[in-house]
Amino acid sequence: MGDAKTANRTDVNKDVLVEVKGVSKYFRVSEGILKAVNNVNINIMKGETLGLVGESGCGKSTFGKVLMGIYPPTKGKIIYHGKKVMEVSKKNLFAYAKVAQIIFQDPYSSLDPRMTVGSIIEEGMVIHGMYDRKKRQERVYDLLELVGLNREHANRFPHEFSGGQRQRIGVARALAIEPEFIICDEPISALDVSIQSQIINLLHDLQKKLDLTYLFIAHDLNIVKYISDRIAVMYLGNIVELATSNDLYARTLHPYSQALLSAVPVPDPSKEAQKNRQILVGDVPSPINTPPGCPFAGRCPRATDICRQTKPELEMKQGHLVACHHVEK
Amino acid sequence: MNKVLEVKDLHVSFDTYAGEVKAVRGVSFDLKEGEVLAIVGESGCGKSVTAQTIMKLNPMPPARIVSGEIILADKDIVNASEKEMMKIRGKDVSMIFQDPMTCLNPTMPIGKQLTEAIRHHQNLTAEKAHEEALRLLEIVKIPNTKQRARQYPHEFSGGMRQRVMIAMALSCAPKVLIADEPTTALDVTIQAQIMDLLKEIKEKTNTAIILITHDLGVVASMSDRVAVMYAGKIVETGTAEDIFYRPSHPYTRALLKSLPSVDMDRSVRLVSIGGTPPDLLNPPEGCPFASRCEHAMKICRAQMPPEFIPEKNHKSACWLLHEDCPKPQVGGDK
Repeated sequence: MGDAKTANRTDVNKDVLVEVKGVSKYFRVSEGILKAVNNVNINIMKGETLGLVGESGCGKSTFGKVLMGIYPPTKGKIIYHGKKVMEVSKKNLFAYAKVAQIIFQDPYSSLDPRMTVGSIIEEGMVIHGMYDRKKRQERVYDLLELVGLNREHANRFPHEFSGGQRQRIGVARALAIEPEFIICDEPISALDVSIQSQIINLLHDLQKKLDLTYLFIAHDLNIVKYISDRIAVMYLGNIVELATSNDLYARTLHPYSQALLSAVPVPDPSKEAQKNRQILVGDVPSPINTPPGCPFAGRCPRATDICRQTKPELEMKQGHLVACHHVEK
Repeated sequence: MNKVLEVKDLHVSFDTYAGEVKAVRGVSFDLKEGEVLAIVGESGCGKSVTAQTIMKLNPMPPARIVSGEIILADKDIVNASEKEMMKIRGKDVSMIFQDPMTCLNPTMPIGKQLTEAIRHHQNLTAEKAHEEALRLLEIVKIPNTKQRARQYPHEFSGGMRQRVMIAMALSCAPKVLIADEPTTALDVTIQAQIMDLLKEIKEKTNTAIILITHDLGVVASMSDRVAVMYAGKIVETGTAEDIFYRPSHPYTRALLKSLPSVDMDRSVRLVSIGGTPPDLLNPPEGCPFASRCEHAMKICRAQMPPEFIPEKNHKSACWLLHEDCPKPQVGGDK
C-alpha cells in the first residue's frame, strides 16, 4: 500500500530535510513541570507540507519554536539535512536561521511599526551579509512583486496595510534570505475568509516555484487538509496520529483525531444535519504534572485500565503512525 | 409564528475625527419565535454593530442611529431611554459575547453574578434567586453547581465561562438571544459542545437566536435563515439551503468557493476575492462589492441594486438578477 510507505518514512534517507529525534520541551513552573512537547519523533521530507493540528495549548506552537531554534529542546535533537547538515543548537543557530524561517500568526504585532516595509524585508539579508546594497534593494522589489504587492510599497510603513497585505509582507521577509524550510505558525487564523484563500494560494505557488518545505501549524482542519501532504495530530504535547492527509480523513484511527475531525463544522447544511457529531466531554487537561498513561484517557470514550496505566507508543498500525492501545495492528 | 423582532432600514454611523463612518447602511430583517438567523460577513462589515444597536450597547456618541426602526416586542426601541433599555436588556433581548474571559466580573463569584442579574429583573428573595441561579447552571450543564457557584471566573475554563454567560443571558427567559461570535475564541471540540447546548436551549425554550459569525461551518450547522452582510448592507438573505446550495449574489458565491472543502484536492485552486472591502468613510454610491466583483457592470458602480427575489423568501441585492440582464452568468454553480 503506497500510503503505508509514505506515512512511515522513518529510515533516514536523502529525502529527509528535518529529522526530529525524541524532542521534548519542558518548562519549570511554580506548580511543577509543564510538558509542552513530549518525545516527538518526526521526519519532515524535502518539498512536502507537513500539517500540525491540535487544540490551543497542545504544544504545537511551542514545537514550532523548538524547531525554529527559538527554544532549545529539553531532550532530544533536531538534525537538519539541507544544503548543509547540522544539528540545531545554540552554536549553529545563526547558520540555521539562514535556511529556516518562520511566518507568524499575527501580522499586526510581528512587523516593527517604525520600520519601512523595505527595511523589514531587507533586514534579514543585511544580518546574513547577503549581496551588496544595490542588489538587496533589487531583491526587495522582486520579493514584493513575488508576494503580490508592488515596489512602491517598499517605502511605506506597516500600519498603511491591511491584514492580508501585512501577512504578504511577513511572507516576503521570510523568503528574503532564500530559506529551504518555512514554519508557518497559524499564518491565516487572524485573517478573514476571503483573504485566507489569497494567502493559501500564495504559499502554495511559492512552494512550487521555490521548492520550499513547510511545517504548517493550524487549528482550521479544512485548510490543513487542503494544504498538507501529511498531517500530524497533537494532543497535550504528544503526536497521537500521523498519516497522509487524505488517509487521515478517510480512515481516522485515533479516537482523539476522530473527535477532532467530527467536531469541525462543514459549510453544508445537509451534511451537518446528517453528521453524527462526536462530542467530547470536558476540557483539555493541564499539561502540568500529567498522570501516567495515555494523555487522552481522561476524555476518551474507549479508555480502559491499560490506557490509564501505560502510555501507548506511536506505532505503525494500518498504515498510520498512531499512539493508541485500542487500534488493531 | 410570531415575529419577535423586526429591524427596518437601520442606519448607524460613528462620528469620528476622520468623518462619519457609515457602519450600517440600511439593514432590514425580521426574526420569528424559535428561529435561528445567522448574520455572516467579514470583519468590519457591520454585523456586530447591528447586534449592538439592537441592544443599544454601543456608546452614543460616537455611535448614532441615523434612521430606521427596531421593533422589539411590538415596541420601537430606537428612541427608548437608557432607563427603559435597562429593563429591556436581559428581559426581552440578551446577548452573549465572543470573549467569555472579559465579560464576567473577575472579583465576584459566578453564583453571585447570576443572582444579581436575576434579582434585577425579577422580584425574588435572595434565597429564591440563588436557587434559580443553580437551576440555570444545571441547564447549561455545569457539574457540581453548588460548589461551582461559589467559584470565581478564573477557576473556569473558556468553554465553562461561555456556559456561564449563556446561563446569565437566559436568566430572564428573553425572547431574543444575540450570540455574537459565541465560539470564535474556543477550540473546535469545545465549540461543538457550545453549539450543541445552544441548539438544545433553542428547542426547549423556543428562544429566537441571532447568530453572528464569520464561520460558514457554524452557520451551516445550526441556522434556519442566513443574512450575508457586506460593507454595512445585507446583500443576500434566504434559508440556509438557499444560501449554501443556490447562492445568487456574487459575494456569497465567492465566499463559499474560497473555503476548501474536505474532498478538495490540492491541484484545485481556491477562489480568492481580490482586493479589500470598501472604506466606509466614503462608501461607494453603487454596489459596495462592485470593485471586487468579476461580473461588475456599469450600472453596478453607479447605482445600488434593489432587492431581487430569485425564489420565495430568498432576496438578493444584485443587478445580475434584473430581468433585462443576460442570464447565463447567474446560476447555482456550486
